[in-house]
Amino acid sequence: MIYGVRHRTTYGYESQVTFARCVLRLTPRSSATQTVLESSLTVTPEPSRAFQRAGPFGETTNTVVIETRHKALIIEAHSRVEVHTPPSRLDFGAPWEQVRARCLETADLGPGGPASFIYPSIRAPLVAEITEYARSSFPRGRGIVDAATDLMNRVRADFTYDPKATDVSTAPLQAFTARRGVCQDFAHIMICGLRGLGLPGRYVSGYLRTIPPPGRARLEGADATHAWVSLWCGEEAGWVGFDPTNAIQVQDDHIVLASGRDYSDVAPIDGIILAPGKQTLKVEVDVIPETGPAILRPAFGARSGLAGAGS
Amino acid sequence: MADFAGVASRRPSLDPAGADRLSAWLRDYRTLPGIPDELFDATGRPRDYWLHFLGDLADYPAGQIKSRFNLATRHIRDTGVSYRIYGEESERTWPINPVPLILDQTEWAKISAAVEQRATLMEALLQDIYGEATLITEGALPAAALTGSPDFIRALRGVPPPGGRYLQLYAADLARGPDGRWWVLGDRTQAPSGAGYELENRLVLSRAYPNLYNAMNVERLAPFFDALRKGLASAAERKDPRICLLTPGPFSETYFEQAHLARYLGFLLVEGDDLVVRDGLVYVRTIAGLKRADVILRRVDADFVDPLELNSASQLGVPGLLEAIRGGGVAVLNMPGSGVLESKALLGFMPKLCRRLLGEELKMPNVATWWCGQAAEQALVRSRADLAIAPAFTVRQDGDPFSRPRLLADLTARERDAFFARLEDRPGDFVGQEVVRLSTMPVMREDRLEAAPFVLRVYAAATADGFRIMPGGFCRTSDELDVRAISMGEGARTADVWVIADRPVERVTLLANQDDVKVRRILGHLPSRAADNLFWLGRYLERAEATLRLVRSLCTSLMDAEAAVHGAGETLTKLQELLIAWKAMEADALGARALDAARTALLDADSTGSVVTLVRKARRTAASMRERLSADFWTLLGALENGLNAPGLKLTSEADALQQAESALQILAALSGLAQENMNRAAGWRFLDMGRRIERGVNTCRFTRTLAHAEATTDDLDLLLDLADSQITYRARYLVGLALTPVRDMVMLDPFNTRSVAFQVFTLRDHMNALPVLVDDGMMERPNRILRVLTTEIETALAADVDPDAMVRFEEALLSLSGAVADRYFLQGANAVPTIKLAGLA
Repeated sequence: MIYGVRHRTTYGYESQVTFARCVLRLTPRSSATQTVLESSLTVTPEPSRAFQRAGPFGETTNTVVIETRHKALIIEAHSRVEVHTPPSRLDFGAPWEQVRARCLETADLGPGGPASFIYPSIRAPLVAEITEYARSSFPRGRGIVDAATDLMNRVRADFTYDPKATDVSTAPLQAFTARRGVCQDFAHIMICGLRGLGLPGRYVSGYLRTIPPPGRARLEGADATHAWVSLWCGEEAGWVGFDPTNAIQVQDDHIVLASGRDYSDVAPIDGIILAPGKQTLKVEVDVIPETGPAILRPAFGARSGLAGAGS
Repeated sequence: MADFAGVASRRPSLDPAGADRLSAWLRDYRTLPGIPDELFDATGRPRDYWLHFLGDLADYPAGQIKSRFNLATRHIRDTGVSYRIYGEESERTWPINPVPLILDQTEWAKISAAVEQRATLMEALLQDIYGEATLITEGALPAAALTGSPDFIRALRGVPPPGGRYLQLYAADLARGPDGRWWVLGDRTQAPSGAGYELENRLVLSRAYPNLYNAMNVERLAPFFDALRKGLASAAERKDPRICLLTPGPFSETYFEQAHLARYLGFLLVEGDDLVVRDGLVYVRTIAGLKRADVILRRVDADFVDPLELNSASQLGVPGLLEAIRGGGVAVLNMPGSGVLESKALLGFMPKLCRRLLGEELKMPNVATWWCGQAAEQALVRSRADLAIAPAFTVRQDGDPFSRPRLLADLTARERDAFFARLEDRPGDFVGQEVVRLSTMPVMREDRLEAAPFVLRVYAAATADGFRIMPGGFCRTSDELDVRAISMGEGARTADVWVIADRPVERVTLLANQDDVKVRRILGHLPSRAADNLFWLGRYLERAEATLRLVRSLCTSLMDAEAAVHGAGETLTKLQELLIAWKAMEADALGARALDAARTALLDADSTGSVVTLVRKARRTAASMRERLSADFWTLLGALENGLNAPGLKLTSEADALQQAESALQILAALSGLAQENMNRAAGWRFLDMGRRIERGVNTCRFTRTLAHAEATTDDLDLLLDLADSQITYRARYLVGLALTPVRDMVMLDPFNTRSVAFQVFTLRDHMNALPVLVDDGMMERPNRILRVLTTEIETALAADVDPDAMVRFEEALLSLSGAVADRYFLQGANAVPTIKLAGLA
């Protein structure tokens, strides 16, 4: 499946901004599960410096420095990505305790290995309550994919999708206690549960396809950025994606932008500006499958106008 | 048991009184069975060098040791590194042991060689971990033994450290075990603290017993710090580099140590806000614009140094710093990421890693440690009840009972179950460690010596020829006799460390080699933040002085037998209104008894304009630039605050209040005298003085408006001359008595009266003319423009025309000048607008 993605972010400022420095994580990268056919990035006003490199988790980052006075900053990313359908993996994977042991032995220090994802991180710390919640999906000897699927399904069943309940900075425990939130919260909660048991959960940001297949309900979070979980299931199975917001294993509906330990590693835009006063924010995302009916429908982030976390 | 009887007899030179003192000190000295002691050797005989030290110490007449020591301590503490900011409990002060830890050359040679080897090993480890990582890919070190550390900085993998090395300063925490050998308890690779405290300890002891210090041939510390400075300079691209010490700021636990080190080493003390990255280089914001920072000695944790790429919540860092490091535009030492080696998870691997990287055995073992991330090690820890358990990584987790080291034996049955369950879930989070029993050294309490467990931190500085070891260290002793290393915590006291040289020591100070020094008149450029602080210090001090003058007039008017002297109620009311206007008194207290009003205005910590509050603000402002103020200045400022804060201070009469105000005014006069006479006339002094001048000008305008209006009484004018300190001049010049126009002329326009508004304005003009301009385009900068208009008006004005409207105009011009100075020179001005995080979003 080939998708066209447009992701446009507009900042409006109360007064003139004279200097801005941003790190952008808006360029998808080719991997085993997707091939990037085209990608481009437009920043207005024109940056005085811009360079691209690989970030600490393998993501493509663009650093831009803007020294032109401006009252609006527009960052627009375009890409065409072909997503490959991975084989169904429900019965895949070793007993989960074996995976836990393998993570501690791995000789892979890089972002593709599990070692960086078993430890608590700022936004996905160890939370005893969430560990205990996760534990019932992991009886002794259960296959890891099976167990994680069960955990994912329980999160979907036990939690209510509610963009008003949380914001981009909500801690996992808070969303967990409220049993409400959006994709960012559900992904963080599932990662906390996995890490509590010593398993390597990774936070993935990206997009979800727009058009619901015939006869199926429209997926929540359409036309917005999305977040889900990737779990390392051993050398053989590798990383397997779980989308707790929609209770589906990640297949060809998900386009990956970046992955890291938690949201803060993959935030699409990090930046500082020199400016007094307030700022406004508008995010528009279109995800258009090239095969099938192309319906262009501009959409806004789940919390339009705010620093929303998408769906 | 120790041989006490023999001690005195082995010092035949001691007079009987001295011998008695020595015996009294040692009477209750108890070593612990099976635990080595520094003073007594294994056979119970005192070591020679200790005997030498204690014997000479006992030679001092009774009471002298204490008084000498207290004097030296007080002096250092008053002026030195460890004063607490008022209300800040974070600064830790350790009482200093009057007795140093003494080590002879044989012992020291072993320690020194081992620490040098270990520092070399650490550097080699970092080069591999952040470089090729062959240790990991070839299985010598599991990846998960690194990734749990918040100081494993992935963003710097594959980035060669500018200047070529990761470590500039390394420290090892050492202890002597029961077998008499030294052990490494832990490694400090992030930003080792304590070297500045050791400098302080050395100052105290060498001042307290100068003869003894010289006689014992103690190795000097200065050459080490010189090597440290040279090492840092050599990391720079430029020949004459600007070196900054990056501090987390005055709220950091060890801020004063950092300020002390910066001053001692001659580095610029900067906070994240002071630095800015442009075009891949790092600059300091100064009053003369951006100036390049070549080398940064880092005291901010790695995760906080760059909010753009690392912890985005950090307020302490410099956005873009990592990018500058990648481009080689700045050397940051220790390199961010070096702290990964502080993880206890790594300790167990060190013997193997040392063989592999250096081809040598470790010269000093570290405490036996098992990382539970390995199956066999975990099984061992589960089977041994005699071990301690500790977090494998330095991750703070509030409320977690296992986030600090514990003895397995100390855990309750429930805690044990909880711990083993945690170990099952997340084995990589923990290590098991052999419990180390610490040796003891003498600590003087009251008039006795007691044995106390201790640990020793030893420092290594990188130089062009490898690591150089500080001959001495930061020694901490425990007040508990529990000798297990784990119960040491941060320690209770600290001791100087004397390494006895076997040949005469060189008398070196930090005086640089004459040929190396380029003669310069202006020492670098004043950082904007320092200018800001100095300016406000000047304003606070002047405001305090004006308030004190108001209080003084309030008190004298009532005490004066002749009621005529500002006796009239109206003038007194105006005085109180002035106090109310700048919040030294509550508005509803108008008409209060003079004593009550004076008490509030002087001592009420809750009113924002009282003298005590202003002095505190001045002290806090001064505290964040300690390295720029002389010790005398600091001591006086402390005395000022302490005088107003004295416990049990009660003002029961106007006379009391007057006396209090007078003595505070005297200290303030001494402070301005110091600033005038003893502060270098480079830019720093100008900002202090500008703050003072602007504040004084504004206050004088205000006093004059209130007291020299068209219907002013002689009482009003008399009070005004008091407040403006111009009585004597006036009486000498005008024999006719008080009249409105001459009084106005004297306090507003007279350029010869140092208290007049005119004098302040002309002085400000001189200052502005001496300050650097940003752009040399012939255009006047805004502060100069405001000042030019004001100066012209004052120069040409006639006293008769200076009515209250004109006074308001002068006052407003001075206030807008203050704003313009802030905009132009400081960080917080409207042009140097705040840095706002762009909301991260999805």
